[in-house]
Amino acid sequence: MLLTEFEGKRLLREAGIKVPDGTLISSAEALARRKLAYPVAVKAQVASGSRGKAGGVVRAATSAAARRAARCILGMRFGGETPAAVLVEPWLAIQREVYLSVTVDPAAEGYVLLYSPHGGADIEGGQPPLRYEIGPAHRFRSYRLREILATVEHDVVLREKVVALGRRLLELASSRDCVTVEINPLALLQDGSLVAADAKVVRDEYAAFRAADIQTAVHATHKREPKPIARALAGDLMLVWLDGEVGLISGGAGMTMATMDLVGDAGGRPACFLDCSANPTPGGYRLAFDLLDHEPKVRVILVSIFGGLTQMDRVARVMREIMQERKSRKPVVFRLNGTNAGRVEEIFAGSGLHNHTALEDAVAEAVAIARKGART
Amino acid sequence: MSVLIDRRSRFIIQGVTGNVGRFSARDMREYGTTVVGGVSAARPEKEIEGIPVFPNVRAACAATGADATVIYVPAATALDHVVEAAESGIKLVVYPGDGLPVRDAIEMRAAAHANGATLIGPNTPGLISPGKAKAGFMPSFCYAPGALGVVSRSGSLSYEACFRLTSAGLGQTTVIGIGGDPIKGLSAGEALELLHADAETQVIVYLGEIGGGDEYDVAAYAERRDAKPVAALIVGRQAPKGKKMGHAAALISSHADTHSAKMAALIKAGVHAVGTVGKLVPAAAAALSDLPASRRKSA
Repeated sequence: MLLTEFEGKRLLREAGIKVPDGTLISSAEALARRKLAYPVAVKAQVASGSRGKAGGVVRAATSAAARRAARCILGMRFGGETPAAVLVEPWLAIQREVYLSVTVDPAAEGYVLLYSPHGGADIEGGQPPLRYEIGPAHRFRSYRLREILATVEHDVVLREKVVALGRRLLELASSRDCVTVEINPLALLQDGSLVAADAKVVRDEYAAFRAADIQTAVHATHKREPKPIARALAGDLMLVWLDGEVGLISGGAGMTMATMDLVGDAGGRPACFLDCSANPTPGGYRLAFDLLDHEPKVRVILVSIFGGLTQMDRVARVMREIMQERKSRKPVVFRLNGTNAGRVEEIFAGSGLHNHTALEDAVAEAVAIARKGART
Repeated sequence: MSVLIDRRSRFIIQGVTGNVGRFSARDMREYGTTVVGGVSAARPEKEIEGIPVFPNVRAACAATGADATVIYVPAATALDHVVEAAESGIKLVVYPGDGLPVRDAIEMRAAAHANGATLIGPNTPGLISPGKAKAGFMPSFCYAPGALGVVSRSGSLSYEACFRLTSAGLGQTTVIGIGGDPIKGLSAGEALELLHADAETQVIVYLGEIGGGDEYDVAAYAERRDAKPVAALIVGRQAPKGKKMGHAAALISSHADTHSAKMAALIKAGVHAVGTVGKLVPAAAAALSDLPASRRKSA
């Protein structure tokens, strides 16, 4: 979960890393009431990258200019997201911009530290940053980092500051369950100090059980989602809407994607990615049907589950019950296989439900229904 | 032969008193796996499903000579159980659970390595050497002994894929679920090395998806002069960019993560790569036909 800059900087400050003394402001009127030293930077608070290039960061030399900038930014959208607030900070007199981050990396079997002597907006276009592959946090060695930095960084004073800061970033990442902590730019000021001019912090949602602040943030993020997505998340279902007509109820990410691909191969279009594997219970499946039954673009529902731990005789009984009580008349096509799948046929017997043996047959039937619906 | 597990493997189940642990202990035994004990720190049962239950891994190992474990505990305590197993002398540790914080995955992997153990997981159904033993909860009927070594990032997809391979008469040496998380106990590259070194494995089948970089390790392996023939299925062609598709790693965040980039890299490396599950069996058959006739055995 990507934090806004303000939230990210709060974590940095708590870890003893210097950040500008900023104020979070939610309206131009609120900004007018603040006594600020100008010039300031007015920055959109959104969890999306490339904000700067999209006009989300504005320098304002006067109170009036800052209000105009705030009003303008609060009405903009960045990657589909409208900022709820702007961060107003003193404009920094930056002497040099560098790049520093710590992130989880499979090749490093743990954390990697990345450094580039040229930070700022175009970091992705230039030379790839230096990599110090740390692994588990306890393997950090400042002399190793120093050796790597020495190949590009000849300013010894700056280098030592980066080594110390790198250790702090790593400690922050591991102690506060951050997947990524990125400072770009890390600003070198006239007085020789290093300030985190921006912050991109990604926290690990899976750590919510041991971090109250992550739990709060996850709930807040879920609440901001459109209602069906929020309902799905609250029920431990993973829902992503797509553009098509064939609604999928599936179990497991790989199987869901494989079924989506087959729908495409058969000339249809999936309406969603809906993975029920985290909640394969009567309640979970009822919610899945309710979500798709209420979504107008879904013309047919394809249930494609290959269960391992999920026992398919239980799933079949639940499906039979849901089909009996459900009010929607959207057609449903079944392909259930996996543990205890041999009993599905006898459970469906007499209920009018049919379970396809081959996934392709189920997909073909669902796509044919979706197309027939499109013509009428 | 097979890799990691066979008839001689002696398993314990940590968390055997939970519903999943109990189900899996019975299911593994029914498959013919040697399950010698269970561990439960908090429950007083002496025996479950006819298996003796011990208060800790050290006691279980001392009494039974166990060398492998499957751990069914919630994410919050998973790291502690993996470390306990590795430090008690267990050489193969399977942790199927999902929702594990990545910091714990990093520590788990390091603890296993420091103790000379192999960790499989998190977020996997486990692994199976068909006809010999299974460590996890994959549906047994999907598998049969044969010549394919299979590596999969996704559990459910591996059931479907192996069901098709088995139905077509293409059996497997060992099917390893490496899991869908970014930090894995056993990485794709490490799983390939194991299957490469296994004399019975003639062809490697890789089941992957969008997001992450494992598929590039597969391509790098296939480019080696001594590589075994490789077939691959990569799913997620219909997935939009920037949306997380369930698995922690199934997210297209850069061009290299996309379906088309991965397919291109695999095909360039000589892999029989397909983008739909319906074409997997022909791809595996084509990989088998790459073998010189002298080395080909009936799959």
